[in-house]
Amino acid sequence: MDRVDDLLAAHFSVEPAPAELASRIVRRAHDAEREVGRLLDEIEIAATDRGVCLVRAERLAPPPSAKARRLVEQARVELAEYLQGKRTFFAVPVDLSGVPAFQRRVLEVARRIPFGEVRAYAWVAERIRHPRAVRAVGTALGRNPVPLIVPCHRVLRSDGGVGGYLFGTPVKDRLLALERSTPVLEGCATTRIVCRVGCVHGRHMRPENRVVFASVADARSVGYRPCKVCRPAAAA
Amino acid sequence: MAPDDRGLIERVARGDESAFGELVGRYQDRLFTVAHRLLGNRADAEDAIQRAFLNCYLRSDTYDARWQVSTWLYRVLTNVCVDELRRRKTVGFPVEAPDAGAIVEKPGQHLDLRRALEKVPTEARLLLALRYVDGLSYGELAKIRGISINTVKSQLARGKSILRKALR
Repeated sequence: MDRVDDLLAAHFSVEPAPAELASRIVRRAHDAEREVGRLLDEIEIAATDRGVCLVRAERLAPPPSAKARRLVEQARVELAEYLQGKRTFFAVPVDLSGVPAFQRRVLEVARRIPFGEVRAYAWVAERIRHPRAVRAVGTALGRNPVPLIVPCHRVLRSDGGVGGYLFGTPVKDRLLALERSTPVLEGCATTRIVCRVGCVHGRHMRPENRVVFASVADARSVGYRPCKVCRPAAAA
Repeated sequence: MAPDDRGLIERVARGDESAFGELVGRYQDRLFTVAHRLLGNRADAEDAIQRAFLNCYLRSDTYDARWQVSTWLYRVLTNVCVDELRRRKTVGFPVEAPDAGAIVEKPGQHLDLRRALEKVPTEARLLLALRYVDGLSYGELAKIRGISINTVKSQLARGKSILRKALR
């Protein structure tokens, strides 16, 4: 034992946790189950052969072909995983061919906002080189045909306000909270490979082998290597 | 006689909320201390242990009886804390300021230790917290973070070496 050991032992001495923790957690568990179930029940998806073209909380036309049906099914699975905190990106393609050019540029910028992060409407306006078109950006995002998959909920007002949302601001709040509490990088303790949450490799990982990392560099520092399929270093 | 931890987990998996309350009561102080020391403020620490216990409550049926319950709980908690630390590095979400008054400096404790700990990389800091809060063995630490025992030793040594230099 040296001086650093003594200091660490004093610094890490146990302190009491807040009271009534267990009952608060049980309440939170019941709320979480209800929220995910409700969102999933509300959503309908439409697709063309090129990708998902519409996500809405209303009855939509059935898929026109077998390929479109497969895409709808893939999107439904990915959305369910996303809402359960098991996915941080969407692999299903989107079809924005029916969207006007200005709106498409806005949606392409919004699509690149990383999971768990937020940006301002003004930031999006600057990225499409129309810095004064903040209101038009808000309108374009408000009419996003594929919300959730193109994450317009990650765009907020510059003053920190939530702004509008197609499914209502409470849903936007819930999505932001969900992304705040969903890890992005997970490693497998047996293969020592680190992936983005939602990677196909992660599906085969047993829960007891799952280890979360703060960065790819941290994972490398303890002997993990990045996945060659989802390439977490490139996405970070 | 009090039921053992594994018995409690089995009851939690069957939906017994009183067993869950007992489990939380047994571990909440140690888990809260780890989270508080890693995240630096009580609000984030409380949210982290709520999320960790919530994961355990919702996924108690996936608990593997070959694991010690404490090791499993620490794995879940460190996963939550590490992701919170990652989130703080990203742009956008505001982060609670450290609550300087809540972590009481004890007599003889070096006032610069907290600042020095910030220089220690995340993985090593995590291992130091687990080692000193609960006296976990190298084997348990390796299992919690999914790394080898040699990596645990080298990370702890590296962390302490950084602290020694910073406190010199």
